Amino acid sequence: MNRLSRRHLMVGLASASCGSRSLSPGEMSLWFTYGGRNRKVLLELVDQFHARQSKVKVHPTFQGDYFEGLVKLRTGLFVGSTPTVTHIIGEVVPYLAEAGVLSPLDELEAEVKADVDPALGQSGSFVGGDERPLYALPFNRSTPVAYFNRGLFSDAGLKPPTTWAEMRSVAKALTLRSGDRTERWGFECPIAWWFWVAMLGQAGGQVIEPDGRVSLGDEAGVEALHHWQTMIHADRSMKPPPGRDFNAWEATNSDFLAGRVAMIWTSTAFLSYLTDNASFDLGVAPLPKEKRFSVPTGGTFFVMPAGVTGAEREAGLAFLRFMISPEAANTWATNTGYMPISLAGRAKLRAEGFFDDHPNFAVTLDQLKYAQAWPWAPELFRVQREAVQPRLEQAVLEQKDGAAMLGEAKASLRAAGIATGAL
Amino acid sequence: MKPLRPSHPYLFLAPTLLVLGIFFIYPLLLALYRSFFAWDLLTEPVYVGGGHYEALWRSGELVETLGRTLGYSLVVVVWASALGLGFAVGLNREGAVYAFVRGAVFSAYIVSWVAVGLLWLWILDGDAGILAVGLKKLGLPTTAWLSNPDTALMTLAAVTVWKITGYAMVIFLAGLQDVPKSVLEAAALDGAGPWRRFWYVTWPLLRPTAAFVATTSLILSFQAFDIVRVMTQGGPVKATTIFVYAIYESVFMNLRVGRASALTVVFFALLLGLTALQLWAWRLGQREGTT
Repeated sequence: MNRLSRRHLMVGLASASCGSRSLSPGEMSLWFTYGGRNRKVLLELVDQFHARQSKVKVHPTFQGDYFEGLVKLRTGLFVGSTPTVTHIIGEVVPYLAEAGVLSPLDELEAEVKADVDPALGQSGSFVGGDERPLYALPFNRSTPVAYFNRGLFSDAGLKPPTTWAEMRSVAKALTLRSGDRTERWGFECPIAWWFWVAMLGQAGGQVIEPDGRVSLGDEAGVEALHHWQTMIHADRSMKPPPGRDFNAWEATNSDFLAGRVAMIWTSTAFLSYLTDNASFDLGVAPLPKEKRFSVPTGGTFFVMPAGVTGAEREAGLAFLRFMISPEAANTWATNTGYMPISLAGRAKLRAEGFFDDHPNFAVTLDQLKYAQAWPWAPELFRVQREAVQPRLEQAVLEQKDGAAMLGEAKASLRAAGIATGAL
Repeated sequence: MKPLRPSHPYLFLAPTLLVLGIFFIYPLLLALYRSFFAWDLLTEPVYVGGGHYEALWRSGELVETLGRTLGYSLVVVVWASALGLGFAVGLNREGAVYAFVRGAVFSAYIVSWVAVGLLWLWILDGDAGILAVGLKKLGLPTTAWLSNPDTALMTLAAVTVWKITGYAMVIFLAGLQDVPKSVLEAAALDGAGPWRRFWYVTWPLLRPTAAFVATTSLILSFQAFDIVRVMTQGGPVKATTIFVYAIYESVFMNLRVGRASALTVVFFALLLGLTALQLWAWRLGQREGTT
């Protein structure tokens, strides 16, 4: 059986079992990847959408975490059984767009231009220019922020750090040791690509240069690694959390909530969760600077797979139009901690005094002026998962030389045919 | 026995062959075929010949993954078999207390891997885990067992041993039931103490059982995935990226179907070799046992 006919067989089997194309007119499927509170908020929004109109019926399906959802989407794309709408992390948008598996959302371009915050949308993200169709609609967008235990800080007479130097001294001052054991850590953050990119930006660099060369920040990338290494091994004020990916993020949150660490870096997405669960006064601060302030954005974008046409496409567009509306965007943001993507919605929140009542929320928005758009290039995903992430851990946990590790990362990229320039 | 028609034996074999063909031989051949292509599930596959095998070999990834897998398996097989045998010999007695302890040891085996992983994640937490707190109270050194690249793999091996020792114990208990009491009594009358009775009577008769326990726990340890997925996700660094997890990571995290296929082919060849070796050792043991 050749490849094509086998593929047809799989398509047949898939559509027989779960085929999304068997939707009736006016129906659409939504694959989502939130658990807990965020899942509840999303389903409430779907209910609101249903209450508001009767033409479109959304069938939401939970697909695990971001990466599990991505795996299912890829498998679905291969066998031709995809949802009408799903949401994916920004780093894979260029990869999927280049592969031709995303459907341009031309019909929504006017709304996006008029009201979506450019710092959170697709605008300005693609390396080498913006002349692309609209593939991705911002939905749950976030930045990293510093969360701190206000009680511990005020007891020690300290303020949240605004520079790397202050960050070191504050973390050292808040680390509590008895003998050789650490009773409380000053700082914790997952050894993850996102936070490294934040520090690389603060040190004045960027992952991919405007000409498309993957520089990994050159010297700035090394400085970022060095900052972590110093805090973990020399100062012994930072705890690297166990586990990888979401497990490390969860470990960071639970250490912070249990009072085992005074300050953490994690996503704005956890604002509501940490506020609800902290037994202490929770403070939020922008990330500090080295040469400049800088934060990457995170979270996901709505996309529509290629091949969604006709009535199903219309249904999908109607739902997306609702989700980026000021009202829905605000409901989502204020109940989760993600950024409100609608500028009109944000102005309304400001007018209603929401940010005065929720100063922690205001911090996350103020920091947006330092947000760096992602350098979207098809190879970004590989740069992240294969070249950089394993070497961050090696440099930080095994105390390998940062420059050598990033040199190795670049060498592996060049071996895969990706231009990195000189080491 | 002569079949009525020459086709009859094949007809009887057909259902098994069909299932094996669809779920085993075909996927394996497909993996072999895919290992010659670079493919991300989305764009057209590109033929790369033996490129993946060469890259795996040259980057050292193959040797490192193999080393980690063998190290983990060795610890699991040796300790689970030894502890299982120890428990079986110690607990092979009548009485409610012994029955309770046997049940307790075996209970870990029936708990799901995910539950075991989560349970041990709490116990092994470097700061607040029972183990760390207990060791600190005793004034003994402790570490973040799972976040230290030097200890993570052996910690996973220890958890695996904890889980499967009960299984090894039950199989050894079954083996012990087959050791004739009369032979043991005869040895005792001849003046053999407990150690000599074990070494010269029980152990030789238990050798086929030991080979079975070793083979099954070897296969089990080679297939380890859940525990890595739940407890360490292959990290820290690559300390716990053992074979099956490396395959999973290649295909599902990094979209490299070709490289994952190449890893699968190598893994299959390795398992085939190890099984052949085990079978050879088993037959050797049986032959010695009968002479």
